[in-house]
Order: sequence, then structure tokens, then C-alpha cells
Amino acid sequence: MNTKVNIYLFEFAINSLLRQKYKSIFITLILSVLIFLLTSVFFITNSIKYELQTTVDSLPEIVVQKLKAGRHSDIDIQRVDDILDITGVENVLGRVWGYYYFENAGVNFSIIGIDEYEKQYKNSLTDVAQKLDFSKDSMLIGEGVKDVMEKSYYKEYFNFIKTDGRMKKITIASTFKADTELESNDVIVMSKDNVREIFDISEDKATDIVVKVTNVNEIPTIAAKIKLMFPDTRVITKDDLKISYQNIFDYKSGVFLALFIISFFTFFIIIYDKVSGLSSEEKREIGILKAIGWRVDDVLKEKFYEAFIISFFAYLLGVLFAFFFVYILKAPLLQNIFTGYSQLKTSFTLPFVFDIQTLALVFFLSVPIYVAATIIPSWKSATLEADEVIR
Amino acid sequence: MIELKNIIKKYEINKNNIVTALDDINLIINEGELVVLKGSSGSGKSTILSLIAALSKPTSGEVIVDTKRISKLPDNFASDFRRDNIGFIFQKYNLINTLSVKENIMLPLVPMNLHVDIVEEKLKRVLEMFHIAHKKDMIVKNLSGGEQQRVAIARANINNPKIIIADEPTANLDEKLSLHFIEIIKELKAQGKTIIIATHDPLFFGLHVADKEIEIHQGIILK
Repeated sequence: MNTKVNIYLFEFAINSLLRQKYKSIFITLILSVLIFLLTSVFFITNSIKYELQTTVDSLPEIVVQKLKAGRHSDIDIQRVDDILDITGVENVLGRVWGYYYFENAGVNFSIIGIDEYEKQYKNSLTDVAQKLDFSKDSMLIGEGVKDVMEKSYYKEYFNFIKTDGRMKKITIASTFKADTELESNDVIVMSKDNVREIFDISEDKATDIVVKVTNVNEIPTIAAKIKLMFPDTRVITKDDLKISYQNIFDYKSGVFLALFIISFFTFFIIIYDKVSGLSSEEKREIGILKAIGWRVDDVLKEKFYEAFIISFFAYLLGVLFAFFFVYILKAPLLQNIFTGYSQLKTSFTLPFVFDIQTLALVFFLSVPIYVAATIIPSWKSATLEADEVIR
Repeated sequence: MIELKNIIKKYEINKNNIVTALDDINLIINEGELVVLKGSSGSGKSTILSLIAALSKPTSGEVIVDTKRISKLPDNFASDFRRDNIGFIFQKYNLINTLSVKENIMLPLVPMNLHVDIVEEKLKRVLEMFHIAHKKDMIVKNLSGGEQQRVAIARANINNPKIIIADEPTANLDEKLSLHFIEIIKELKAQGKTIIIATHDPLFFGLHVADKEIEIHQGIILK
């Protein structure tokens, strides 16, 4: 048996594609678009999953919020000590923060207050605290905030409008990057005193209280104790927050699932069209090849080369375009579906996540299916008597 | 030697309509003979050619070529048999219209994966033998009927087969080209090839180089 690669057969397959160049180009383009859509969906989903996971990891274990007529209200700082007395609680911190609406750009910033000697509830803030000059009215801003402010010519400082209508000028010290884009892009960090002044939060109040426990298995028990101790509060555990983040993600995934299904449906229409039969010209050609001495496996090899060349080329094109679209162009239109829930937030960049499994999945969802769809009808024709096909 | 033994060939048009194309055919063609099968359209001439070329299988009976029972060959072996032994010239030439002359002629060699020098040598031989070397790069659909037939003959001869089968070879040619085809057939016979021609063209009747003339009518050999 001749095991050498048959160059003539490969050449014949390429010539066969070139002979039908408009049809080949059309199929390649349609396949590329579908693969592009599928890959883009997977790329964005992967990035968002990564973002979600990193965000969830940095969430506080327990958040305690005061409720006034069902609405979130400032909480007494005194309660920090009461919670600290609960067995199993490792650390408790009163947070001072709030959303600041920047009218010029129509976006919300999250302003977080920190104290110089306070133990921060997450590592990224500890790093920020070391950079911030607490002796001055200064702030550190996320990259997204910087972009928005620069567009309004705030390059060195920003004038916050306080609740009494007066201005509070804060100097921009520098920018920082947190663990995730979602986290850092709309965040401003400054001293707690400045945050209190801007949002008019008195010294004995905090926006909420975050609790760190010694044993994570005790989170539900400690949360229940806090709720019992302060019935006018809402006690949110990390798991609750995880679920709400997950819900947002799942909802967005649903939209993407719809896109995914549409792409796949279109792909299968093409596949069905191919499987349902060859044109009379294609059948005749197979009959001629059989009649002049080609074996069934020669015909199938040639058809395999044709289908593989088209589908693999379409796969490369689709993946490259998806890469360019998602990570270079930042997925215009598609990304808005994900971030659309937060029009008021500043935009964020999808983090690059290289996942070989995704590329393999798209490959196996496209190339072998297309190859099979080409080979099956060819096999049907090639196994008929050559005489029958030519006649 | 080619031997057809008690051949019956039936085609099922549908469940209620079965056509008997050949009814108990017995025929022997010796090596190097030129045999003319004559008869009207639908008489069964093309079916005999198709069975000898292993393009189809008989409903019953046997086709034996040089002791090989080709009517029993599995599909891939039948392909190998055609490639190595048969040169088939079809009535409508059955060329791939969008390929060049050279590419069409080379088609039987493609699965053989021969060394490029051997391919070139074989190609050169048939291009010269059938006087189409000057048209080798032309797309066949742009050739005249006579030229297309020469391409079909060249393709049938590229593997230097010992059996040449031609089905109504002059049906689409004028008299001058038909006479030219007969000259080519004479040359092939002179090379010792076994040639079987199915035709109803009177030019082939009483041909002095023909060893046998067999008349077929409604699937039965008359003489």
C-alpha cells in the first residue's frame, strides 16, 4: 500500500475548489462569519467569567447594611464593636463609600474611603492605601475614571459637588489598577474624611460594615447572629453576593446563548443542505472518476481535502477576526449586551483570557461537522455503481 | 480473453417496472480482437460494455477477463481493474469541462501517486499519439467535438490499457472526424489492444479491420 501523501490528489482538491471559486468563497465567508460569531461569544463569555470569578474572590465575607423603610441607610459605627464581640469574628470594618454621579459624562463613579492605619478588607486597597497621601486632599483613580475625567479636562484635580451644593476640590494623585477591570475602572479612592465630607456622612456613621470571620464555614451562623442582634439590618454573605453576580452573568449569558443558537442553527442549515445531496454535476464528476479507475477512498480523500481546506481556512479566519474584534476592537455592540445593565458606569475592557479549550471546542463544532457533511453525500454517490451515476 | 457467461441484466425502474436489458448473453472476445456491437438505441449494447468494464454487475451470470471473475469483484477491486486494464471512451466523452486537456488526461493517474517523471512521460506519449499536445493547457469546454474526443481517447490510453471500450464514439462527430476516429482505432488495434465498439453508425459496419460484428436486439444476440 502506498503510504506517501498523494500530492496530485491534494492538488486536484485545490483545483476543484478554484474551479468553483465563487461557490468556495461564498461557503468560506458564511462559515467564517458563523465561526467568528461563535468564537466571539466564547471569548467574551470567558473574559466575563474570569472577571466574575476575580470579583467574587475579592468580595467581603459578610456585609451589614442598615435598612430604613426597606432602603439602604447609613449605619452606626458603634455596631462595629458589638459585632466584633461575636465569637468567630476576626475583623470588622465600617466602610465609607458612595456612588457619585458625574453629570458631564453621564456616568457613576464609586468613591471609596480608606484610613491610613486601618486594615483594609481586600489586598488591592492595602496597596492603594500605601500610595495615597493622607495629609492632602488627594485621590487615586481607576483607569476608566481617568479617561472620563480627561475628556472633561479634569487632568489634575476634580471639583466634587457636596450635598450642600458647595465644591470640594480633590487633587488627582495617580491612577491604580485593581484585580479586575470591572472593579477598578469606575473606582476613586480617597481618605475617609473626604468621602464623609462629599456625601455628608457624620463621624459616627458608616455606609455599611464588612465582617471577616475566622472560619468560612461559620459565615451563615455569624450572619444569623448579626441579623438577630440588629433586626433593622440586611446581612449579606459572600454567597448571596455571588448569586446576584451570577444572576447578572446568567442573564447576559442567555442573550449570548440566543446568538449562539442562531449561529449554530444557520450552520446546520448549511450542513443539512450539503448532506441532503450533491448537485447533478457533482454526482456526474464522481461517476467519471469512478469510471476511470478511482476507488471510493480516493474520491473520499479528495472530498476530505476540499472540505478540510475550506473549513479550516474559515476556522482560522473566524478565530482571527473574533480575536481582533473582541480584544483589539473591544467587541463593539456585543460588549454592550453585557455591560448594558450599567449604562451609568464607565466602560470596561474585556480582559484577555487565552483558553485552548475554547479554540478546540470551536474547531470540533465546525471543521469535523463540515467535513462530515461534505463526505457523507459524496460517499453515497461514490458507492453507487459508476454506470448508474454517469447515466 | 473476455468471456460473458449466461448474462442477465435487469434494471428496476420501480417496484412494478423491471426492465430486462440483457437476456442470457454468451460472448467470447479474444485478445487483440476488434469487435463491433451494433444495434438500435436501447438494444443493450452499452450495458454489455458497462459489464465488461466492471462499471456495473450482472443480475446473474459471470463476466470473466483473463480468468478474473470481474462481475464478482468488490467495488474497490473493480476500480483497480478498470484503472489497470480498461480505457473507456464514452459517448458524451465524460470529460470534466472545467479542467484543462492535460488535467483531464491525467485524471486516471491521480490516485496512483506516481513519480512526476513517469506522469510526464505518460502524458507526453498520449498527447503526441493523439495530436493534442498543442492544446494541452486549454480548458476542454473550449475545444471542438473532435478535439474533445481526442482528449477522451488520450485519457483512455494514459495507462496503456489492453482493452479499449468505446460507446457510440462517433455519435457527435461529422463523417470526416468519424473516419479519423476509425484511423485511430486501427492504430490501437495495431498495437495489439482488444477493442470493443458499440455503435449504430454504418461507417463501422463491414469494417475490414473488425474481427467480429455482433448484432444485439432487445437484449439478445442475433448473430
